[in-house]
Amino acid sequence: MKKQILTLFFFVAIGLLSYGQSTDKLVSNCVMNAGSNARYLKDFRIQLGKAIVQDEFRVKEKMSLWKNTKYRFSMCNADDSKGQLILSIKDQNKKVVLSSFDKKSGKTYPSVDFTCNAGGIYELSFDFTDGQQGSGVVVVSMVK
Amino acid sequence: MFLLIILVLFGLSCKSKSNKTSEFVFPEADSVPISEAEKLSPEAIADISKNISSPVEIANLLQALEVPFSQNYIASSIDANKQSTSFDKAFKLGVLGADLGYLNMYEKTGSSLNVLSSIRKLSEDIKVGQYFNFESIKRLSQNKSNLDSLLFISIDSYSQIDKYLRDNDRGQLSALIIIGVWIEGQFLATQVVNQVRDTMLIDRVGEQKIILNDLLLLISPYCNVSSEFTSLCKDMQDLKEKYRNVKITYTQGDPVSVEKDGRLEITQTERSIVEMSKEQLDSIIEITKNIRNRLILNN
Repeated sequence: MKKQILTLFFFVAIGLLSYGQSTDKLVSNCVMNAGSNARYLKDFRIQLGKAIVQDEFRVKEKMSLWKNTKYRFSMCNADDSKGQLILSIKDQNKKVVLSSFDKKSGKTYPSVDFTCNAGGIYELSFDFTDGQQGSGVVVVSMVK
Repeated sequence: MFLLIILVLFGLSCKSKSNKTSEFVFPEADSVPISEAEKLSPEAIADISKNISSPVEIANLLQALEVPFSQNYIASSIDANKQSTSFDKAFKLGVLGADLGYLNMYEKTGSSLNVLSSIRKLSEDIKVGQYFNFESIKRLSQNKSNLDSLLFISIDSYSQIDKYLRDNDRGQLSALIIIGVWIEGQFLATQVVNQVRDTMLIDRVGEQKIILNDLLLLISPYCNVSSEFTSLCKDMQDLKEKYRNVKITYTQGDPVSVEKDGRLEITQTERSIVEMSKEQLDSIIEITKNIRNRLILNN
């Protein structure tokens, strides 16, 4: 029994370790591929299972964005993701100012530049297309 | 170059523009009651910590404005070996983090290694040294070839420290690091604006009003913990007072979207307008300098 518990612990630990490493690699690749004119600012790491109900984006974060600044949002997906990572941004008045997903055509954009002209705290929402399972990262950079 | 103007995109359609304006005002109460601050959920605190403007953004703006690097803006007087309390160590860890961002952006390797060794000492003293990837940061600083990797590892180290402290009931130290980063970034911006009265930079200083209340919410639970915290809370409250009559208004407008080389480019037509008199700006520059210098000279 003790041996089985130790074996189970070993595999769980290896699994967690390899997940951490693959996430780090995904993030660093995403940072590197943001473009030579982009400077890394922060990242949001997203991991979601399949949604039971598809209505609102499931992950919400806040971020200050400043006037006269061009931001780049780069969405990168892990190989085993079923859906594509998508982003939507709302301003202080809950108005959508950015969406990386076109509902009508179903097109997703892996990279979106946003020229901010109104400084403030914005709400960033993340999900995977069709509420699918997935893991990925959104890297936020400033464009020179 | 293929350029497609998307008239109707993602629900951001060209509705008729309204010229309505709104104004940012501080919440009614002059100070945040402790009981209210204590009610903040861990998620709300995490949100606030992520909201704080990065010093890298300010350094990026300075570079865009072709403002030359100045060693005078760095807190070089901080001696990591002479910090006795956790308050001093955590606050200065924040200040030096902002300086590291500024140095990295200007690729000042020699100075950044000095700052880095102070960061190492302070972070080890408050038992978070394991989250700071010193060797990689040092290697990348010397290498100069990959600024993005350097910024990523540096910022990621601070994010991990912040999360660890909040998860382990040491939120007061996390709050101090965040306030330290912000004050040093604010010091950098105000010192430059004191020399170069550039509109973009003035706007950036004025817009800090938006997050001041969040900063106060962050430290309010600790205002009675020690005399050092009480003093810091008073400083932040005084700074807030200087910002009270800075006016930030918003004109409404719908974003304009364009697809360019497979990338979506969105330009916001909504605008924030900062109205700040010379006297208001001067008093903000003055109080920021006083608060920052008092706190960093307290070796």
